[in-house]
Amino acid sequence: MSTIHEQIDELLAADLHGELSAAEREAFHAHLVDCAECRRAFQEEKNMHKVLNETLSDKKADPAFEQRMVSRFRDRVPQRPGLIQLVTNLARLRAVQLTAAAALLLSMVQMGRMLTGESLSRTLPADDTSTVSQSVAANLFDSGATKSAPGARRESLAPTKTNNEVSHPDQFAVVSSAPTSGVLAQNPAPPPAQDKAEFQAPRTKAKVAEFKDEQAKTDSATTVAASEMEAPASTPSPLANRKLVRNATAELEVGSFEEAIQKITAFAAEDKGYVATSSSEKQANGKLRGQIIVKVLPDNLDRFLLKLRGLGELKNQALTTEDVTKQYFDTESRLKNARLMEQRLIEILKTKSKDVADLLEVEKELGRVREEIETMQGELKFMDSQVQFATVTVQLAEKNMNIPAAFLLKERAQLSLYATDVEKSYNEIKALASAKVQITNAQINRDNTGRVSAYVYMLIAPEESEAIITRVKAMARVENFQVQTERVSQGGDGLGENAKTERDKVTLNITISRDEQEQSLQQTSLRIRSSEVNDKTKQLRELAEKQSGRIRSSSFSRDPNGRESANVSLRVPMKNYSALMESLNTLGKVENVSVHRDDRPNSQVNEADAPADISIQVYSQGNIVSEETGVMATLRRTIGQGAGALMWSARMIGVALAFVAPWALALIGVGWVMRRVSRARRARKERAGEDGAK
Amino acid sequence: MDSNEHAIYRAAIHGDREAFEMIIRSFSRNLFAIAYGILQNREEAEDVVQDTLVKAWKSRWRVRDPEKFPAWISTIARHRARDLARRRRPEPLPHDFESSEAIDANRENPDLNSEVQSALSQLPELHRMAVTLRYFEELDYAAIEQTLGLSNGALRGILGRALGLMRRKLKPALASLT
Repeated sequence: MSTIHEQIDELLAADLHGELSAAEREAFHAHLVDCAECRRAFQEEKNMHKVLNETLSDKKADPAFEQRMVSRFRDRVPQRPGLIQLVTNLARLRAVQLTAAAALLLSMVQMGRMLTGESLSRTLPADDTSTVSQSVAANLFDSGATKSAPGARRESLAPTKTNNEVSHPDQFAVVSSAPTSGVLAQNPAPPPAQDKAEFQAPRTKAKVAEFKDEQAKTDSATTVAASEMEAPASTPSPLANRKLVRNATAELEVGSFEEAIQKITAFAAEDKGYVATSSSEKQANGKLRGQIIVKVLPDNLDRFLLKLRGLGELKNQALTTEDVTKQYFDTESRLKNARLMEQRLIEILKTKSKDVADLLEVEKELGRVREEIETMQGELKFMDSQVQFATVTVQLAEKNMNIPAAFLLKERAQLSLYATDVEKSYNEIKALASAKVQITNAQINRDNTGRVSAYVYMLIAPEESEAIITRVKAMARVENFQVQTERVSQGGDGLGENAKTERDKVTLNITISRDEQEQSLQQTSLRIRSSEVNDKTKQLRELAEKQSGRIRSSSFSRDPNGRESANVSLRVPMKNYSALMESLNTLGKVENVSVHRDDRPNSQVNEADAPADISIQVYSQGNIVSEETGVMATLRRTIGQGAGALMWSARMIGVALAFVAPWALALIGVGWVMRRVSRARRARKERAGEDGAK
Repeated sequence: MDSNEHAIYRAAIHGDREAFEMIIRSFSRNLFAIAYGILQNREEAEDVVQDTLVKAWKSRWRVRDPEKFPAWISTIARHRARDLARRRRPEPLPHDFESSEAIDANRENPDLNSEVQSALSQLPELHRMAVTLRYFEELDYAAIEQTLGLSNGALRGILGRALGLMRRKLKPALASLT
């Protein structure tokens, strides 16, 4: 009861609106009897319901409302012409959108096939490729006899894959739609799918019809069809009259070439064939590779190919059949005609032997016809021989063809040297030449600045190479030495476990440059102050020579204040460096020593012999008071600056004048012209006044 | 929805003008009730129905499910009406009872009609639409629920609440009537 009391609003409204179920209604009215409050509410609600019905019925839409709405709608949305309407409506339907997308996709696929050159001729089963027609016939036979589409499809797809001559979509379409009479009832295809299939390959439609006809035939007389289908395999049939040239090629990998050849010969003999040619070739690694051409009877070809498979691993196999029937009978009939022609010509020769010229003409024609006859006979014979025997070309290769026979170790060495006398070292190296050391290329270059460089390329017998390289290294300072070793496999690639390795000649390339060009290991710069610069410089030279140093450059200068300085740069071997540095102390006070060292951790340079550069400045102090200081100098400078400022302002005035003058001139000119004009006008007026007075 | 109505809605969605006009005849009154429920002005409500019909025709292909057509077209009408109401009254209606009661008290002799109007205007929008749909067109609850896109049985509570609120509001006026 309490729930009714709580939900009184809802129940009141629902009751008045007649939306209460019978049970609810009963319970509600029972509650009203009990509850005075709710009864009052019910009364009020009833009143209000009445009021609402009265007041709101005024507000609701008038009776002509719908008609007004419809006519205004017609005004505002004019009817479009039927076709456009149809098109826009269609375009908005999802089904149509989907269909359009599918059609677009299919057309793109079709276009792609055209572009990639999957030409139609390849997909159509041509007459002379009997394999295809056989497989199609097999399909028909299967579907007709067993009436199971999936089975037929599987069996037909298998030959398709091996043949690679029939494109899949067409084959598929044929198979799926050929047994329509039997299968469609069990497995009805949805209409759109069928439409699509037809859209994709309209040609198949015709084909399907064709096959349907055949299907009907096979259905009507299954036994007859079956015997027909089995015919080509066993008993003589229409096929026997056909001239078929069958060829097969196979590529095999065998364990032993000789054994394989023997076996193939034996197989050929079993199948009443013979070995036409065989050839073999021995590879560098001792493996054999070759080709054998076998002729076998066409009927035994398949058996022979099966046997071949037992010999080794079949790499690939191809079987082709060419129908030369038409060609054969054409040639035959042409031959008959030519023979008749020959007979008639002979008759002409016999009967009308009067005119010599005619006779000659007939003779000539006879010769031509006979030649033709011979050619055609030859052709027929050739075709007969082709048809009589099938040609099997077998490519044989022994296993592990690629294992290398041997490895060659090629060594290439590069040696860069620094020598004091390049030419001498060059000649020394050249003198090494012997039977086991051959110089392939040698050159010495000297340019006009006195830079010398040389190179020698040589080939050294492997056993000599170590000794020669050591000797060359001893001749001069080694800057760089590189050895590159390469292992070259011969007669194949990959790893050969048993192949032996041989050392090849060593190529040695030597370049020699002057040691002047060598980068020094250590650079030192220092200053020595001394009053007698010239003397000290001479002493310095002597000191350097004592430590086997060489002067690389020197300069001397004296400035106006009497300051002198001399710059000497010299190079000493590292081992003498410290001794020289110490001896420099005897010359004067050593200042500003800075040392820079380039360490070359990985180089093969002998550090004791490596060069060190030292640049030394010997200088003296000049006069204490220079020309540039003092009262006179200050005065001179001040006057100079004043004069400079004066000149500068004069130049500025000039610039200002040049800037203003043209404008001033122009203004003056304009003023002058205006005054002239006004004066002339006034004069004219006066003259007019005078005329008036007159 | 019976299969006949369903077929009409489907045809209209697919561009059949006659079907759409049939819908206008049968449904525009409901739309009017909805628009009136929001705007409480007949001219404006009629304009809204007009616009709604044109807009619905132009974008009918958006409705994938014919079942949802009435609710969809009602939604258009509601949005249109609400837009118009917002444009007409920059500030939302005063929903606080005190100020409106003050207005009522000031009125010398309030007639029942305007009392009802003002009571109606103080209801929430959904409640107003439910009341107008019920009292204009006398639709049963199921049809109103379908039109307003409400779930089954939700309307009973809404209408109950609406009428309860109005009853309490109109109590003095009703008392004077009896």
